[in-house]
Amino acid sequence: MRHPHHSLRERVGRSLGLFAGVVLVGSLGSSCNLDPVHRAGVNNLGDEQGGLYPPESAYHRPGEPCALCHSAAGPAGLQFVLAGTIFWGPDRYDRRVNKAYVRIGGPEKTTKCFVTNCNGNFFVRSEDYKNLKFPLLVSVERVIDPGGPGPTAEKSIRVRRMSSHIGREASCATCHILGLRDFGSPGQIRLYDTESEVDTAKPPIPAQCPNVDEPPLTQCPEDRL
Amino acid sequence: MSAIRVAAVMGVVGTAVGLLALAACASSPDENRLTVVITPDFDTYVASVDAYLTRRCGSLDCHGQPGRAYRIYSREGYRLYTIQDGSLVSGQQPTQAEEQRANFQALVSLEPEEMSRLMGRQGENPNQLLFLRKPLKIERHKGGPAMAEDDPGYRCVVAWLQIPVVQGDGTPIPPAQRAKLSTNALRNCATASDFP
Ligand code: HEC
Ligand code: HEC
Repeated sequence: MRHPHHSLRERVGRSLGLFAGVVLVGSLGSSCNLDPVHRAGVNNLGDEQGGLYPPESAYHRPGEPCALCHSAAGPAGLQFVLAGTIFWGPDRYDRRVNKAYVRIGGPEKTTKCFVTNCNGNFFVRSEDYKNLKFPLLVSVERVIDPGGPGPTAEKSIRVRRMSSHIGREASCATCHILGLRDFGSPGQIRLYDTESEVDTAKPPIPAQCPNVDEPPLTQCPEDRL
Repeated sequence: MSAIRVAAVMGVVGTAVGLLALAACASSPDENRLTVVITPDFDTYVASVDAYLTRRCGSLDCHGQPGRAYRIYSREGYRLYTIQDGSLVSGQQPTQAEEQRANFQALVSLEPEEMSRLMGRQGENPNQLLFLRKPLKIERHKGGPAMAEDDPGYRCVVAWLQIPVVQGDGTPIPPAQRAKLSTNALRNCATASDFP
């Protein structure tokens, strides 16, 4: 709406007041970030889907770019330097890989390994990976019975390696965009290239997540004592 | 010796272009004017250099992005979707010839005049190029240091840029008669393409 009878100074004053209001709101909660690009990115992800996972937990928002929210810009308090979700196939959202070993190789030949939780998510805080340096190589492995007893427990079901590298991005899903396999994204991270291969392989998918009766696995074989 | 003379001539041309640009404020644009860019050897780029640059620089979170002046297409990142009915998918079909050509064009057109001058002096002092100044961190680079003067990738790129494409007096050398990369340079390019 325009008010031609208002002087310019009045109008400037008014918008400054409005601006001050916005700044105030912005400083109240980190979720109201003033960077419009960041805010739009976060808003685009939509609300939590409480029916699919426990909201605002380590199991939430599988397949989404975790570090968009889990960054200095917020809205999440906890910050990640790397995070993502592993799926069994290229299309289905509901078949995710628990206890997958996500191995990260740094430029100085350092390696680190992280384990996905029962919803296929893994996340890395800066204190978990102190000498993190880009670019990074990545591979993902799922074994028969991760951390389990028996001679074949740590035998591989499937290993996939990313042949390109990560230049500087913290969220796997910024490149591996959920539901989008096209010229700009390889699609969700997967261990099999077709869903029918997944059907044949009949991979283990936890019936319940989280499951209090099953303690989470946190270490890869190379890190266990 | 004569390479230096060419560079000097190019310098004069550069100044003339500069003056022209000033004059352009007043006169109407000359639609017949053409900026000729002396480009480095395309065949060597395709055979030995593209694989390294796409891998080192072209991931989707770096130069594999549509908004970048130096924008890279490859199998391992962003795809050129105007070809093959837009059916190229990130991570799937191998890098296509059209993509390599587009990568070459993006690289050359970053600084066409500077590239022409570099070719005019047969690749001497390649670090004048923004294309090398950025990854070497001689100039600010958002992606941090991405090359070093003693790494095989840098050596591969410089060996390519030093293949003469014009003679000392500025006469173009036809592609078929140009020098080839040395065994050493080829090895550097191969090692660099396996990066990291
Ligand atoms: C849209 C924003 C957003 C995205 C995307 C997102 N989170 Fe969160 N997450 C939050 C918020 C907000 C909380 C609330 C707790 C907080 O502030 O850290 C939270 C909480 C968490 C917590 C619990 C923190 C605690 O202190 O208990 C974990 C762990 C977590 N998220 C992991 C992830 C992982 C892994 C992903 C990606 C698969 C992800 N998040 C994606 C916003 C997000
Ligand atoms: C910079 C963009 C980018 C980021 C970030 C990224 N990837 Fe990838 N990833 C790709 C591309 C492109 C491909 C397909 C080509 C290839 O293999 O390099 C791929 C392929 C893969 C593959 C091979 C199988 C498949 O799903 O296509 C795995 C496994 C993988 N990525 C895991 C990860 C993990 C885990 C992360 C996070 C730690 C991650 N990626 C982050 C771009 C990325």
